[in-house]
Amino acid sequence: MDEITAGLSEIDCDVLVIGGGTAGPMAAYKAKMKNPDAKVVLLEKANVKRSGAISMGMDGLNNAVIPGHSTPEQYTKEITIANDGIVDQAAVLKYAENCFEMIQELDRFGIRFQKDENGDYDVKKVHHMGTYVLPMPNGETVKKALYRQLRRARILISNRYMATRLLTGKSGRIAGAIAVNTRTAEFLVVRAKTVIMSMGAAGRLGLPTSGYLFGTYENAANSGEGYAMAYHAGAKLANLECFQINPLIKDYNGPACAYVAGPFGGYTANAKGERFIECDYWSGQMMQEFYKELQSGNGPVFLRLNHLRQETADHIEHILHTVERPSRGRFHEARGTRYAQTMIEMHISEIGFCSGHSASGVFVDECARTTVPGLYAAGDMASVPHNYMLGAFTNGAIAGEDAIDFAAEVDFDAYDRADVLAEQERVLAPTRREDGIPPNQIEYKVRRLVNDYLQPPKVSKKYELAQQRFAEAREDMEQVMVARDAHELMRALEVSSILDCADMAACASLYRAESRWGLYHWRTDYPERNDDEWKCHVLLGKQDDGTMGCEKRAVQPYIVPISDDEKDAYYKQRITAEA
Amino acid sequence: MPLANTSTSVPVVVDEDKCIADKGCTVCVDVCPLDVLRISELTGKAYMKFDECWYCMPCEADCPTGAVTVNIPYLLK
Amino acid sequence: MTFEPFEAFCDLDDLAEKLRDADPGVRRVAVMDLADTAEPGAVALIGSALHDGVPEVRLQAAIALGEFDGRDCAQMLVVGLVDADHRVARAAADSLAELKDPAAADPIFPLIAHAAPAVRAGALRGIKELRRPDALPLALRALDDADPQVRVEALGVVGYLKVEETLPALIAASRDAHAEVRRTAVGALGFSRSAHAAEALIRALSDSDWSVRAAAAEILGKGRFARAVAPLMAAFEDPEWQVQVKIMRSLGQLKAAEAVPLIGRSLEAEISNLRKEAAAALGEIAVPACRPYLEGFVDDPDPDVRKNVRWALGRIE
Repeated sequence: MDEITAGLSEIDCDVLVIGGGTAGPMAAYKAKMKNPDAKVVLLEKANVKRSGAISMGMDGLNNAVIPGHSTPEQYTKEITIANDGIVDQAAVLKYAENCFEMIQELDRFGIRFQKDENGDYDVKKVHHMGTYVLPMPNGETVKKALYRQLRRARILISNRYMATRLLTGKSGRIAGAIAVNTRTAEFLVVRAKTVIMSMGAAGRLGLPTSGYLFGTYENAANSGEGYAMAYHAGAKLANLECFQINPLIKDYNGPACAYVAGPFGGYTANAKGERFIECDYWSGQMMQEFYKELQSGNGPVFLRLNHLRQETADHIEHILHTVERPSRGRFHEARGTRYAQTMIEMHISEIGFCSGHSASGVFVDECARTTVPGLYAAGDMASVPHNYMLGAFTNGAIAGEDAIDFAAEVDFDAYDRADVLAEQERVLAPTRREDGIPPNQIEYKVRRLVNDYLQPPKVSKKYELAQQRFAEAREDMEQVMVARDAHELMRALEVSSILDCADMAACASLYRAESRWGLYHWRTDYPERNDDEWKCHVLLGKQDDGTMGCEKRAVQPYIVPISDDEKDAYYKQRITAEA
Repeated sequence: MPLANTSTSVPVVVDEDKCIADKGCTVCVDVCPLDVLRISELTGKAYMKFDECWYCMPCEADCPTGAVTVNIPYLLK
Repeated sequence: MTFEPFEAFCDLDDLAEKLRDADPGVRRVAVMDLADTAEPGAVALIGSALHDGVPEVRLQAAIALGEFDGRDCAQMLVVGLVDADHRVARAAADSLAELKDPAAADPIFPLIAHAAPAVRAGALRGIKELRRPDALPLALRALDDADPQVRVEALGVVGYLKVEETLPALIAASRDAHAEVRRTAVGALGFSRSAHAAEALIRALSDSDWSVRAAAAEILGKGRFARAVAPLMAAFEDPEWQVQVKIMRSLGQLKAAEAVPLIGRSLEAEISNLRKEAAAALGEIAVPACRPYLEGFVDDPDPDVRKNVRWALGRIE
């Protein structure tokens, strides 16, 4: 079982989708629907049935732009402000214009959104800024419904193949990808006219406070392969210094779910049971306030539902314990905590990259195109900010439909066979050692260093030390890491992605010499936001000499202008009371 | 440096009396996003081979016979 | 042969063979594999497993049919819905509720008059999303069912169809002996803008059950029933603060200037949810009379209250 088997096979396809979580299945489905004669392959490291961030389901949409409740322009404005202005609005607007149609299509697929007694979407207003919350109390059917559609559309699904590197062609276009089987270590080379990457967040970057390697906020299978592969293929990555840090239940990795509890009157409180968050929307600013309260004498921070009617609190508890992260109920049961009776202690998550909640991702335009021709990215790993699950679906669809047209126009680009051989050597190196350091130890060390040195507040000197320590760990990884079977080899390859992401997090953070996005990029040496010099994207990429580097990229002129008044309207909300 | 065999308590438990892996069922193994379950060559039943669990529960939810239980890993319990 | 690293599209004949295996475990696995094929031809095979002698196999089949849609699938599922084993029946009811194709309703209709209440309820739940106008007479009849769960499901069907002619029946249901039925009826009245609906909703503001009162208060605001202002004000001192929240929100939506002093007093409430809602409602009403109430709470200790107070004051300017 899991023995390493030699072997390499090759297949061809028009569209290769890597990652079968949320965006990927939708991209594959839409590509196939647009051209049923095309060969569409969906590659997945785990199994499409239950892979990705929404493995067990999703308990609500918090960025649903539904006619009668909000408009695409209003949404674009709010995301622009929530992301401190660093937004290419075209992609956000396109999402906002398309997402309602996507909700209706998902509904037809059998994914269940909350409806009122007249069968209309039961959209909730959480705060006066906008109305975007559509609960999904029965949202546990998401992956099942998606899988059903993939099978009906006869998408070719390759489970248990982990992509390790992209192949670029002689003309600079994308040419395909190399993958390795996670049970046998056999290689698969996929020649493709276009590739869509939908490989999720880099969620195994920081170490959870529990110390359990797999107790991460994100699905622990999302170890950042997409970011690493895009980097090595020469694609640019945007604003990686805008980390993902989320509120969650202390010790348990379930989200705080203010969007579930909010419509019922639940809220985030300090130890006195009082609200403290000034910020009106999910952002780094909000996380900054959360962090400060945690550190202050008023902390720690709690989810408060115990002022609600017992049946209301129980109802919220039921949703939180059954839909998105059902082991949550088991966690609270063991501790004897009931939401109706006590406030529930919360904490902040480890750091990661994830555009779903922040903005760090492979740089894409409004058609999900990366900077490498023929290469697309969608979902948590693409740079469209604050995208969440609905964004992954909507932008996955956009990527699939654009990619299938691109594939119709081009032939396969020829790649260099030497690239395949070199990759085989790199991948198999840990299997050729008798003895050495196993991947879990290198992973633990790297992620412990990420916590020690990269977690905000960001201190330049600590970042420089981190870079030295990462280089030493890389030396170990390349020289002495040992993998004894195919499963351990998968973990070894994940370590390589984690280390690449750690290097990218450090490099991008040191480049942006200002503070922005609240806690996400709080630099103690540059505590102020500096719009004159830094109201721009930071693009990270592999430079001509093979080293990692950053550059500035102007933010595209706004399509939806935001007046100073409107900006003030938001910032005014943040004024703290004179106590 | 030589490798050790350090023991660890795993969160996923399989009730072998209920498990029908020996009839060809591989549901729990298939749905695990971290691929940590296997069918034992010895017993023909499913078991957790690697302590790398996100305690996400598809293995338990999708098991047709209710044989699988996901516990919270000790470190965060 | 070329290498095909893809998930197989299983052969139905092979699986049909396995469905006849002597071992029920093998038959269960075959049912699961049939579901994964997503082949229309699998429906009848899975349906045949609903006649299996072993309840666990039938249970698997009832679950598996949830992966399919259409008339044939429904035809199979109604067999499961009347299964003697309650687990099978419940799974069949859940699978019925997954159907989307309106044609699937036909085989379900006869079961709305079945002897067992769980079957009647499951059948009604199954047809709700299908929104078939011809389901209306059947559902209306079921509003008089002896079983409250059947009445709730029947209200679901009627509510989704949004037909003005059903108002008398919905209003009657809003007086039902069971709170859950009344609450559902109040919700189902939400589509109507008629005076009769408003009257029923206003009456529900003094229901004995708090969740019915909360639903009524919410819908009166959503429906912008101007005549509801006075009754909402009369109901203002509801013993449950969660009902008060809904009342204030609705008074805000109705721009009820006459309710300003009443709402303004809630800015002094101990529960911060109430203060926040009061500020938000005053901001919706936004008449100059709101100002004096709001000004005293610019520095409320609760940030959500402060934000709403500031926002409200900004709207009055």
